[in-house]
Amino acid sequence: MRALVIDDSRAMRRIVGTILTGFGYEVREAGDGRQALDALQEGSAEGWVPDLCCIDWNMPVMDGLQFVMAVRATPAYRQVTLMMVTTESETGQIVKALAAGAHEYLIKPFTADALRDKLALLGLLPEEVSA
Amino acid sequence: MTVQEAPPISELLDARTVQSIADEVWPSLVGDGEAFVPVPVPPPTEAVSAWVDMTRPPTVVDDEDVADALGELANVLGGNIKSVLPGESRLGLPQIGVAPPHGRLDDVRSLVGQWRGNFLTITVQGAAPAPHAERNEVPL
Repeated sequence: MRALVIDDSRAMRRIVGTILTGFGYEVREAGDGRQALDALQEGSAEGWVPDLCCIDWNMPVMDGLQFVMAVRATPAYRQVTLMMVTTESETGQIVKALAAGAHEYLIKPFTADALRDKLALLGLLPEEVSA
Repeated sequence: MTVQEAPPISELLDARTVQSIADEVWPSLVGDGEAFVPVPVPPPTEAVSAWVDMTRPPTVVDDEDVADALGELANVLGGNIKSVLPGESRLGLPQIGVAPPHGRLDDVRSLVGQWRGNFLTITVQGAAPAPHAERNEVPL
């Protein structure tokens, strides 16, 4: 499994990345939506397309919602699962993200178990971890 | 509702709410279940270095790491506080600095706490004038 972790906080990228690595994921990171689009493009060129993107909402340059919309508008990334990982916790924000094309929503702060549960729901938890 | 028309933050938030959010957010971020314990003494912030330490292998933690961790802590605390405020509000990007711009000094909810022997203060302050909240969001 492959994941792209998108967050402007290095600490948060490291936390999410460490948890995902523990689940057997190969992880790459990006600091904002623009960098993430570049990472997707570069990854595609070398055959590295993520199964999962974990996306913060509030970021400079290009925020998470813009990124979700950009990915959903790109047929080549149709198979990529998009999960918001953010402090934005109002129902309206969650609906907005899901309407834009996000598949799941995880509110910060979260535990490794909460992330694991979300991955299980999405069918993105490797068998050896879920067993 | 515009920010200028909003009632004072100290009317919207009571100290117990700030405490309960800190109690939930802090242990979730540091991961060891220790509560953020309020204490009646003034602060600073070695606790943040300790938190940064927990998010990475034990290498050198530089100023940028500390600033990044402070920003993320502020972001998570701010997001949770925002969620309990009535009406519409927006969460801006965190700004890190030695002397952040003052809002209304008479409109403050403050929590002085201790974590692993280090002091930390969380202050929610009413804005005057309205804050500039940078957003890159595209309306749906």
